[in-house]
Amino acid sequence: MIWVETIINGILYGGLYGLLGVGLALIVGVMRVVNLSHGEFIVLSAFIGVSLVGVFPGVHPLVLVLPVAVIAFGLGVALQAVLINRVVTRPDPFAAILLTFGVAVVMRNLMVEIYGADLRHLQAGQLAQASTGIGGLHVGVLPLSILALSVILFTGLQLLLTRTRFGRIVRATADHRDVVRLMGVNPGRVYNLAMGLSLALASVAGMLLAIRASFSPYSGVERLLVAFEVVVLGGLGTFWGAMLGGITLGVAELVGLRLDPNAGPLYAHLLFLVGVLLRPNGLFRVRT
Amino acid sequence: MTGLRRSAPRTDARPGGPWHAPRAWAIAALGVAAVAAAPWGIGEGAQRFLSEAMLMLAMAQMWNLLAGYAGLVSMGQQVFVGLGAYCLFFASISLKLAPFWVLPLAPLLCAAVAAIVALFMFRLREAYFAIGTWVFSEVVSLLISKTERLGGERGIGLPTARLVDPRWLEPLTFWISAAIAIASVFGTYALLRSRVGLGLMTVRDNDIAAASIGVDVWRNRFIAFVIAAAGCGLAGAVSFTATLYVAPGFAFDPNWVVAMMIIVIIGGIGTLEGPILGVIIYFTLREVLTVVFGLSAGWYLIGLGLVAIAAILFEPDGLWPLVRGRLGGDWLSVRREPPVPLQLPAPAPSAEAATSSARGLGATPGDG
Repeated sequence: MIWVETIINGILYGGLYGLLGVGLALIVGVMRVVNLSHGEFIVLSAFIGVSLVGVFPGVHPLVLVLPVAVIAFGLGVALQAVLINRVVTRPDPFAAILLTFGVAVVMRNLMVEIYGADLRHLQAGQLAQASTGIGGLHVGVLPLSILALSVILFTGLQLLLTRTRFGRIVRATADHRDVVRLMGVNPGRVYNLAMGLSLALASVAGMLLAIRASFSPYSGVERLLVAFEVVVLGGLGTFWGAMLGGITLGVAELVGLRLDPNAGPLYAHLLFLVGVLLRPNGLFRVRT
Repeated sequence: MTGLRRSAPRTDARPGGPWHAPRAWAIAALGVAAVAAAPWGIGEGAQRFLSEAMLMLAMAQMWNLLAGYAGLVSMGQQVFVGLGAYCLFFASISLKLAPFWVLPLAPLLCAAVAAIVALFMFRLREAYFAIGTWVFSEVVSLLISKTERLGGERGIGLPTARLVDPRWLEPLTFWISAAIAIASVFGTYALLRSRVGLGLMTVRDNDIAAASIGVDVWRNRFIAFVIAAAGCGLAGAVSFTATLYVAPGFAFDPNWVVAMMIIVIIGGIGTLEGPILGVIIYFTLREVLTVVFGLSAGWYLIGLGLVAIAAILFEPDGLWPLVRGRLGGDWLSVRREPPVPLQLPAPAPSAEAATSSARGLGATPGDG
């Protein structure tokens, strides 16, 4: 019974991991750039959340996800417009990687200087402890609602990209950056919005993760690696693949922790390495 | 695969530049004499500082070999720094030998690990390779922090350092560091002048064209990856010998690769002189910011990160190309002249012609 519970919790946790990765998957899909500062933005949004909780002590953290997402959207647009768009058109694929790595180094150390290196936690009050019994299993209400929110966001993103005019423009830009110019689309502006969307999704994940696990300015590295593993395991550019990749990692991590309480993310990393060895194109390569 | 270059390759500098005999030999002899005599001329603090800078130069040069010449951006290069250090500590303690005697084991272990890791990491391209190596580094770090024999998370000391006469510990570290730094620069130079180096650079500049003329892309990258791992392992082993203590948090710190990357980008990626210039700037900035202005290490990393971002945006070739003109051309040019003037139009290319031209390039004067 304890294993069933562990696996269910892994699935619930993994939905959050999927959310960490889907923003990165969007950027990889649209502009073929891996944003190495993704993890730092996830942590930054958690810090913004902590600050907002301090300013509005009466408001529940889950409500504050919305303003944090709006701030993250703005930061994403700014990051893309001011920095990344300058290098994304260079033929050299490393310029953007190294640039975002530089941004990550600056952000991580700025957060250490501003917020200190202590571990933090976002308090969710009674909701964090509440649990519900399904067929004799204890499942937390908070993890369940986080998974539900992840599914809603995944569905929303999928609909946005496949059913709307904006989604059509984004997909066209991803396929042919130079051709869409002829149709009057400014690829730079599309990239700005895509990065905003990516970091808004990351910030939601960052806030929710801060409720479930403690974080410090140094957590960005771990968050980035998880997000990246989700993207690669899920198969590049597929959002539901990212969700499944996240769930696989979440289950691997919690089962690993059950077997070996101080393993940390070791088993998730090992699963990723084995996955890459066996299926370099992702475990869930499906057409969407 | 063009490094960070945007300009067309220059053809002005002659291969070798001012760096050829007999003046080169005179400079080299003076340099060796200066390094040998240095421990009598400068204090222990200065020796320690220079050792650190020279080991950092070696690591940066290895990262430059990967990113600037082999088209492999590794964000997990710290794994070899840490493995080298742990290899030296473990071998020295279990064999009860002075640390310097077991030093050769560190690069050997790192080369072997790199050879195995390459088999599956090379399935990943570009950014995926970068983060794949990083994940590998995290896995090794976590595994070592769970191994009690290696001290777990607390780390281990180096009691066998007492087997070395304490008066000679600092000078020996200094000399070995200097030798590693010099070997990293001239070893990379020799490698790049060889057939492997030519192959690497053709792959960097256009991997499809390189493969079409018979360059074995995988093999050349494999050689570069293994050499870079050995170099970082050696430098890491010496670096932690100097501190007499190693723990996973320090040995596998991503800041190792951050430093390598920033040094190479500021100095000039894809040049052998760039990392030398980068190391000078890196350590000058560090001393100025932390000693003169008393800022914390965090602010200094922020400053360096900003400089690196500015370099990528405005000076993607780094600062070396700006300095080069004043110093009379490249010191360590790995550029080659075509064996005969190019004649156009060429006859219709056939498979046979393609193979022979590859051989022709390989036999360029100055090869080896």
